[in-house]
Amino acid sequence: MAQDKNAIVDHGQSKWSDLWKKEDYLAIWLGFAIIAVSVIAYFNFGPKAEFAEKIEAANQIQMAESAKAPFKTINWYKAQDDKGKLNASGSAFGKFVSHWTKTPGSWKTNPMDAFVRTAEQAKALDEKGMPKYEKAKAANDAALSLALSAEQAAAGASFKDNALNDEAVAKISDWRSAHKASGDAKKKIGNKPYNYIPSLIGLCIFIALIFGIGVKLMGENMLAFIKGFFIVFMVAVLAYLLGSQAISKQYGLGAEAWAILMGMIIANTLGTPKWVLPSCKVEFFIKTGLVLLGAEVLFNKIIAIGVPGIFVAWVVTPIVLVCTYIFGQKVLKMPSRTLNIVIAADMSVCGTSAAIATAAACRAKKEELTLAIGLSLVFTSIMMIVMPAFIKAVGMPEILGGAWMGGTIDATGAVAAAGAFLGDKALYVAATIKMIQNVMIGVTAFCVALYWAMKVEREAGRSVGAMEIWNRFPKFVLGFLAVSISFSILDGILGKDMGTALLDHGVVRGGTRLMRDWFFALSFAAIGLSTNFRELAKYFKGGKPLILYVCGQSFNLILTLIMAYIMFYMVFPEITAKI
Amino acid sequence: MIEKSLSDRITRFAIVFGLTLILVYGLLPWLTGSFDILNRMSLALDENGINPSRYYYTDVEQVIESEQYLRIVLDGK
Repeated sequence: MAQDKNAIVDHGQSKWSDLWKKEDYLAIWLGFAIIAVSVIAYFNFGPKAEFAEKIEAANQIQMAESAKAPFKTINWYKAQDDKGKLNASGSAFGKFVSHWTKTPGSWKTNPMDAFVRTAEQAKALDEKGMPKYEKAKAANDAALSLALSAEQAAAGASFKDNALNDEAVAKISDWRSAHKASGDAKKKIGNKPYNYIPSLIGLCIFIALIFGIGVKLMGENMLAFIKGFFIVFMVAVLAYLLGSQAISKQYGLGAEAWAILMGMIIANTLGTPKWVLPSCKVEFFIKTGLVLLGAEVLFNKIIAIGVPGIFVAWVVTPIVLVCTYIFGQKVLKMPSRTLNIVIAADMSVCGTSAAIATAAACRAKKEELTLAIGLSLVFTSIMMIVMPAFIKAVGMPEILGGAWMGGTIDATGAVAAAGAFLGDKALYVAATIKMIQNVMIGVTAFCVALYWAMKVEREAGRSVGAMEIWNRFPKFVLGFLAVSISFSILDGILGKDMGTALLDHGVVRGGTRLMRDWFFALSFAAIGLSTNFRELAKYFKGGKPLILYVCGQSFNLILTLIMAYIMFYMVFPEITAKI
Repeated sequence: MIEKSLSDRITRFAIVFGLTLILVYGLLPWLTGSFDILNRMSLALDENGINPSRYYYTDVEQVIESEQYLRIVLDGK
């Protein structure tokens, strides 16, 4: 297959020197280095022993409470809350990393609020949120008091009176809802002053250096890369700024969309300066970001909602993906297989993240990735508003609606938004189904990479040997999978509570995710800066990508709804009843 | 191809960028204010602190809350 200069390429014979000269390997080493630093910092210098002690104490309380009552008591929940408060990113290292990787903050009317917040502004925000918090706290205290009385009444009957037990369960459930509302209101009063400008400068220099070294190892000019990198970084910062505005966020227009848009506006009006182009290392940024993303792809998550969740997210999704790809090839006759599979993956799996992983795995062109992400963003914005409204209008049960939205809306944030609009239970089910689906990107990237290496890039009538498959296979996918499998095993060994406190709330949220976010934003800025509107328009010719997306998504909507109904209401109604 | 002058390019950039900003920060807020459903959604998002533009589950705080809720209600009694 003729390789395009825009495609993500790593071809030819394998040599030992590939390990330190080729982009795929360098992305793996850079990703591994960031992961290793985070793991060592949180596991060796973090509060692991203290967490273990607190988790053990909470577990003891929960065991005693479970033995005492036939339902989850107030003390059981309080012990659970204590475990939930354990957060490794609150350690010194976590605070240091978080400070130096900050993205511009939220703003409504003044863009400067994204960079600088004074002590007076923080105080004013706290004062604004205080009445609501006080009200929520009072409601929480009242609900707790009622729950305590009901539990004591049930305890007075040695938990043998079913009516009293049911009353206690209902009151405890009310208290948990009030507790959640109080917690949400509390988040609005913890405002702190900040100035992100020095940390953004420091971060820019750091990223320029680490990727600059990689560029040097690839035999290119490091100084030329660093010189242009500042422009790419500036576009990414501008994208974060525009994407963190309240209304922009509401419609799903985040930093990634703005990075592509701003980059393209600059490239197609002012013209991207030639000295910036060597810094548009789209593939290098993406591949490194994907290796880091591996730490967030935990296979243990797929059992979070039991068998119904696996069927909705892991059975429907591959069926839709494969059918959409075949439909694109056989019916629509899409000229580009890579565009076909990237759209199929981003529509069926999880939007932007799946598009990035699949595009890199099958070496799609930048324009194809841009087009797939653009389609996903537009339909995500529409679906997140229309679906909850439709579900409410037809009186569909919340859990069914939640499962349907979780399995079909592309972006996780949009799923949470649509779920919250429908109700708490819809949010819980929708967000969890989406999380299970998110985990699928590892398998999708691997299968697509393998299929492309074995079938698509094969010359007609020629069999492909193992060595040739190895030569063609995008190696960074192996790094991505290795990280994903290692973290899944580590998470399993640590157990749910320690895994959440140390891995999820430490290594990932306080380390790898922060860098991954920046690397993807940089890659989107670089894509925009090196994309020509005319080139992009060619890929949209005949509207085939749009037709593919609409047909695939329609099929997805029908199949997911049927599967969700069968699983949650016919095969496992007891799970639905518990939710 | 004839290279356009710097002033031409700056003008084009200002127009396109300006139109984009008007579309996003003018039209979209107008839509939100004009339609009840969009307005309610905007308030719900603000209240719950949800950012619909985030694409992966680790970027969305509500996912871990949902997972924990389901773990509790589906676990045994």
